[in-house]
Amino acid sequence: MDSGAEVTQSPPGGSTTYFDGASSKRRAVMLRLSDRLEIVEDGSALAAWAYDDIRGVDSPSGMLRLSCQTAPALARLEIRDTALAAELVSRCAKVNDNAPGRRGVAVIVGWSLAAAASIVAIVLFGLPLAADRLTPLVPETFERRLGDVADAQVKGLFNARVCDNPAGQAAFVKLVTAIRESAGLDTSVQSGVLSSSVPNAFALPGGKVYLFNGLLAKAENADEIAGVLAHELGHLKHRDNLRGLIRDSGTSFLIGLLFGDITGSSVLIFGSRTLVTSSHSREAEQNADGFAIDVMHRLGRPAKPTGELLLRVTGKEGKGLSIISSHPLSEDRLARMSREDRPASRPPLLTSAEWRSLKSICDAKL
Amino acid sequence: MNEMSWSPIGAPPPPPSPVPPPMPVGFSGKRSEFFHLVKRGAGLELVTLGFYRFWLLTDIRRHLWANTVIDGDAAEYTGRGRELLIGFLIALAILMPVYLGYFLIGLEAERLKAFASIPLVAFFFLFGQFAIYRARRYRLTRTVWRGVRFWMKGSGWIYAIQAFLWGLLMIPTLGLILPWRAAALERYKMRHSYYGDLQGSFEGRGWEFFKQGWWLWLLTPVALYVIPIAPFVYGAYKAIEWRWWLSGIRFGGVRVESKLRKSDLIGLYWKVIGWNVVLGLVFVVYLALSAVLVASMTGSSFAEFFTSQEFAKSIPLLVLVGLGYLVFALAMNVVIRVYLLRDLWVKVLGSVNVIGIEAAANVAARGELAGALGEGFADGLDIGGF
Repeated sequence: MDSGAEVTQSPPGGSTTYFDGASSKRRAVMLRLSDRLEIVEDGSALAAWAYDDIRGVDSPSGMLRLSCQTAPALARLEIRDTALAAELVSRCAKVNDNAPGRRGVAVIVGWSLAAAASIVAIVLFGLPLAADRLTPLVPETFERRLGDVADAQVKGLFNARVCDNPAGQAAFVKLVTAIRESAGLDTSVQSGVLSSSVPNAFALPGGKVYLFNGLLAKAENADEIAGVLAHELGHLKHRDNLRGLIRDSGTSFLIGLLFGDITGSSVLIFGSRTLVTSSHSREAEQNADGFAIDVMHRLGRPAKPTGELLLRVTGKEGKGLSIISSHPLSEDRLARMSREDRPASRPPLLTSAEWRSLKSICDAKL
Repeated sequence: MNEMSWSPIGAPPPPPSPVPPPMPVGFSGKRSEFFHLVKRGAGLELVTLGFYRFWLLTDIRRHLWANTVIDGDAAEYTGRGRELLIGFLIALAILMPVYLGYFLIGLEAERLKAFASIPLVAFFFLFGQFAIYRARRYRLTRTVWRGVRFWMKGSGWIYAIQAFLWGLLMIPTLGLILPWRAAALERYKMRHSYYGDLQGSFEGRGWEFFKQGWWLWLLTPVALYVIPIAPFVYGAYKAIEWRWWLSGIRFGGVRVESKLRKSDLIGLYWKVIGWNVVLGLVFVVYLALSAVLVASMTGSSFAEFFTSQEFAKSIPLLVLVGLGYLVFALAMNVVIRVYLLRDLWVKVLGSVNVIGIEAAANVAARGELAGALGEGFADGLDIGGF
């Protein structure tokens, strides 16, 4: 039974090099392939590796580089003779065990897809839910701090001052108070008109509502403005700012995990984030519209004029829903407000004189 | 000048050791093999929404390291994708509370004064420098040559503070201090680097870097306006930086010299720009075709489709554009990796000569493996790394 036929190869001057992992000394060795792989230098054995412990490691083309699991971790055997390499590999059953194969890649792809799917699911369903649950737990004082910060930034960005000539301010306070009481909000709500030509209005966290003078300029009657204010108070009532902050920062963070260092990935991240946050934002806007319609009903005033004002400001937005816009289409908002509209059952919220004063609230004090 | 310009593309791999004069440092890898590697990797990145990056980066390094032959012996990279993934996850776990704390402190600062929180960004700069140091340490400890690994000690935070203070000096000096900053930081890194028991050091002087590159400092403002000369300026800068950096490296008695030519790197940058233009044109043609396709499906006339801005709202078109962009971005990634990783690596290796290699003939193995946390931070903070 001479099965372990001894083969001694790689003659001196040879193509086989051994590094013992303890020093960088380069050793020209011979190999003896018996029941184990014996590494021999000048006739004395340096090491003996069991075939099953031998693993291939990275090597340049044209060379076989081996390590052994029971030898020092960095001990390396380098074989340049292809015939000898083939002979040796045929005896080492597990030589390729460390090489990442197709299965390894399939596992990576599988787990990555699972991770990506869970990120998408959390962004679409988990975060809105978490934001809904967390928002009531955040103290109002914290929210007011957020509002103070945003307040200073907004005033800085738009370079706006607060308009408050006495007649206009009186009319504004009357209008806001009526809406606020009907909306069921307490007196902590602060509001004001800012001198900016941008036709817009917005709510800040912690109970601040600002109306830009530019929107007043485009408005034709008090009902139009009342609906807008009611809409913004709806955001306050639902604490949409805080909810959006929690949800959108979570979204940004999670989407940022994808793509990573791919050049040009920032566009992808920005794009997907916009899709998600604007879809959430449209939902919040619809709720605020619903709230505004209810408030106007309670005040006995029509909701439709607000929709008309919105359309006047944005112009026709075309058919089809844009999946990247933060608000629903003005046409749709007008359509909804018209659909749920009721005729006026009470007198206007402001007299025509008060309305004129409000329109000129940013004019110099008289 | 970009504060972090030192580490990105160049992030100098654990370098070169030795070669006797007759045998230069060489690269034995085939270009087609590398191309196949990054092409397949880009496809897998697409399929895994980017999660494959840890393994692709590892495979790229393994290929480059294994084919780098110094004094007849090839290096080896022993890092694994799994380590990078774990480092990334740990970094995330640390960064999340940091982000939250940053937000709350920023909130207080903003309350005192609008936009007062902007200086807090400095904190992330500090973190970024820490990541750069620790990422270098990870790569170095995964570099093996002749059965002995490179390794590194020193403190990432001390390094980060030094980098930050030098960074502050960059502002009043309009970046002129950059060479001295690079020299000081590299001295810290190299002083703490070892090959076995052979300690590293860095002998490059800021003044020499300055002498070679001051005219680029003058040209930089021009290049920001006259864009076509920017690749020349940047290529020349990187060539000078590489040459200066390599020529300053020492491990015990082993010295490195580099004769990298500016034209070599400038050529590479123009090739990348050329491919960018070609791929960009293909992308534009693709966009036009998708628009025509979608317009013809909606049934409205082309003129109407475009004048009504309806095209900006068409979901099929957005999906087509998104997919096209993804393929375009990945193709650009393949181009960048082939030219600015592989070809650059080969050019740099070809320019290197190692003197006194005998000193590395019998070095005792020492040093521990370092974790991949730094690489994780670098990924989490979007700092480029090799």
